[in-house]
Amino acid sequence: MAANQTLTFQSSDGVDISVDRDVAERSLLIKNMLEDLGDAHEAIPIPNVNEAVLKKVIEWCSYHKNDPPSTGDDDDSRRKTTDIDEWDQKFMQVDQEMLFEIILAANYLDIKGLLDVGCKTVANMIKGKSPEEIRKTFNIQNDFTPEEEDQIRRENEWAEDR
Amino acid sequence: MPPLIPQAPQKEDLDETWTFLEKGIDSVMLKLEEGVDMKHYMALYTAVHNFCTSQKAVANGQGLQSHRGAHLLGEELYKLLGEYLSRHLQAVYTESESHAEEALLGFYIREWLRYTTAAKYINHLFRYLNRHWVKREIDEGKKNVYDVYTLHLVKWKDDFFMKVHKKVMDAVLNLVEKQRNGETIEQSQIKSIVDSFVSLGLDESDSTKSTLEVYRIYFEKPFIAATRVYYENESRQFVAENSVVEYMKKAESRFDEEKARVGLYLHPDISKHLTDTCLDVLVTAHSELLRDEFQVLLDNERQDDLARMYRLLSRIKDGLDPLRTKFETHVRKAGLAAVEKVATGGETFEPRMYVDALLQVHTRYQSLVNEAFNGESEFVRSLDNACREFVNRNKICASSSTKSPELLAKYTDSLLKKGSKAAEESELEEMLVQIMTVFKYIEDKDVFQKFYSKMLAKRLVHVSSVSDDAETSMISKLKEACGFEYTNKLQRMFQDIQISKDLNGSYRDWQEKVLDDDDRKKLVDSHFQILGTGFWPLQAPSTDFLAPPEIVKTAERFQSFYFDKHNGRKLTWLWQLCKGEMKTNYIKNTKVPYTFQVSTFQMGILLLFNENDTLTYEDIQKATSLAPEILDPNLGIFLKAKVLHISPEGTKPGPGASFSLNYNFKHKKVKVNLNIQIKSEQKVESDDTHKTIEEDRKLLLQSAIVRIMKSRKKMKHVQLVQEVIHQVKSRFPPKVPDIKKNIEALMEKDYIERLDGDEIAYIA
Repeated sequence: MAANQTLTFQSSDGVDISVDRDVAERSLLIKNMLEDLGDAHEAIPIPNVNEAVLKKVIEWCSYHKNDPPSTGDDDDSRRKTTDIDEWDQKFMQVDQEMLFEIILAANYLDIKGLLDVGCKTVANMIKGKSPEEIRKTFNIQNDFTPEEEDQIRRENEWAEDR
Repeated sequence: MPPLIPQAPQKEDLDETWTFLEKGIDSVMLKLEEGVDMKHYMALYTAVHNFCTSQKAVANGQGLQSHRGAHLLGEELYKLLGEYLSRHLQAVYTESESHAEEALLGFYIREWLRYTTAAKYINHLFRYLNRHWVKREIDEGKKNVYDVYTLHLVKWKDDFFMKVHKKVMDAVLNLVEKQRNGETIEQSQIKSIVDSFVSLGLDESDSTKSTLEVYRIYFEKPFIAATRVYYENESRQFVAENSVVEYMKKAESRFDEEKARVGLYLHPDISKHLTDTCLDVLVTAHSELLRDEFQVLLDNERQDDLARMYRLLSRIKDGLDPLRTKFETHVRKAGLAAVEKVATGGETFEPRMYVDALLQVHTRYQSLVNEAFNGESEFVRSLDNACREFVNRNKICASSSTKSPELLAKYTDSLLKKGSKAAEESELEEMLVQIMTVFKYIEDKDVFQKFYSKMLAKRLVHVSSVSDDAETSMISKLKEACGFEYTNKLQRMFQDIQISKDLNGSYRDWQEKVLDDDDRKKLVDSHFQILGTGFWPLQAPSTDFLAPPEIVKTAERFQSFYFDKHNGRKLTWLWQLCKGEMKTNYIKNTKVPYTFQVSTFQMGILLLFNENDTLTYEDIQKATSLAPEILDPNLGIFLKAKVLHISPEGTKPGPGASFSLNYNFKHKKVKVNLNIQIKSEQKVESDDTHKTIEEDRKLLLQSAIVRIMKSRKKMKHVQLVQEVIHQVKSRFPPKVPDIKKNIEALMEKDYIERLDGDEIAYIA
């Protein structure tokens, strides 16, 4: 299999984007498909991701194309830490809408590393904030009744910082 | 062409989504050979993804799972997929019913291949479901939820395999039976079936692991059962129609076949089970028959067949034990027979014949053990037991149990003595090694030691060893076998001879300085050996002897030299071992004077004739003081060699006879050996040796008892006896009554005492 074979992705808004095969295979979806169907001679439709997001995703995959494959789902050190390396932090400095689009795309395309980085970024945005601040950050309307809020607080008492 | 460019279904709508998916799955499952295009593939994946991530479906959730975070969708898809697979497999089953035997195997394999390939695709397409809904279910400990690929296997097993496995196995077994009958079959079919059965073994508690459970129950079990029946029948029939030897060949080739079969198309897991079954049916069931043939094979020396029998029976539990007993008996009988053959020649056989007979039997059966019985230690032990028996207890030993070591020692002597059939050095070494083989089996090792040291003494004193190297080699072999103590005296004897050589050198130097001219004229050329009393098995002469003055003078001179060097030592002249050479100047009919090789006793007699030509028996006896039993035979030797004439003619030496020197002595050689051993001496010597053995054994037992008691202080009588046996048995097999007798003797001497309760104590 030629290492630098070039594939074409077609975004949901109909734009063709070339991408090296090894980069594309950071997506397990793509990797499995190529494995099942053999080499792709036409553009691969990516129905759930638009051009802007897809480019962003490819950028991340290009940078990380030589990462070792993730070691199992229960890699504790990866899960516990919210540390993000510098390049990824910069990469994630995008507006909130784009951030969520990237996370959704990573989830859809099955790119574990990117999904992790995205989720960690969001987690860092939440960390240390009060509910009110969080609502503000993500522009969420409080739809709890005071009673519900009380109950939730009681149920989660154990997690409070004391 | 696959259906038109797929249009993604409405993502919240289950029916629409499933309809769309089912069509896709159909084409993967049934028409994969037509190919699946990429758009379709992506659309199917996306449909699963979109359904699982749709918001609206939340409403369908019964809120049951909401207590553990976000609600995950997918259960409906999973269920529908399962139902789809069941339907598919029902169809497969229906179709399978029209097939049987090999056609059924072909069908099964085809469908299995198609199904598992499709499963891999579908697993990829449903990966989103695996990653989220299935993972959550499994994490929560839900039973009967598997990843999509495993779901395929589970469905195959439950909905198809369980209905057809018997029929499939029947076909497999028929095929195998055909092959066992010698037909060629399509082995790869069975291999594929095995692989399929193995794949279906799922670990219920962890779907990522697999077990061999399904394979073991549905393949191995019937396979083993069929094998058993097949070989039961075959072996029963074969045995009835063929010889045991033929049967063993057959059985062995069957083993090889079955072993190859595992490698060719079975799972290695079956290997042990299959082998055990074959052993059980082919060997254990017929083991009596095989063993009954053992004696016949031994009698006919059928080494290859014996090896075959060994290989077969060695594989079953306790298979060989009865053979070992038979083998031991057989070897013992062979040994006894060989000895008996030697014994039929009467008393006159040579030691060599006896030892050779023993060795031949040993060599023959040792090679049999090595070749046919793989040198197995248990058989080696049986061989050793048998050899020990026939070496120590046979026809020739019947009169005296110590005959074996005596003969062995004599044979050794004959090899190590100069003038034996001059074996090559390497050949000699080889023979010594063989002697050690027999020696190992000798129980009365002390008897061997006795005879050996006697003969060694003689070889050393008479300088008749074939070589120092050979002597050393033999001694070190004995040392290796029996330890330092056993060869201590032998080594000391050897040393004495070396020391004596040096001593003679310095004696000659000393002589140069002391002698005056008169002495020099009368000087007798001499060589002395100093032999330590404790080490040499030699006794002082049994007769008085007045040495001739020439010799006395030489001897006294040496004595004064020796006492000078070693004050306080005592020298005893062993005249019976001394010898010399005499030149005959009185015989005129030859240019070169004859040289007589004579013993000192003979020298004493002959020198008398320097003064007189004729002497009476009484004259000679008076002058030499020799006892008649020594004097008479020596005179006999002179008469026979015609050195002397007797008068009256034709009588035997004895009182009243007179002897005169034969001036017309003639001999074809210049050197005449008159120093011939007298027959009666030989016999006496051998008897003496046996007598001293009894005495030595008593000492050996007593010293062992004292040694043990000294270290233990207190001991039960029974234990003491055991311990003595243990310590002494490397020399000879002690008899319990003898040990008891010696314990009593030591009590009388107050070395040990008897306490209450059958205990014995050491008296310090």
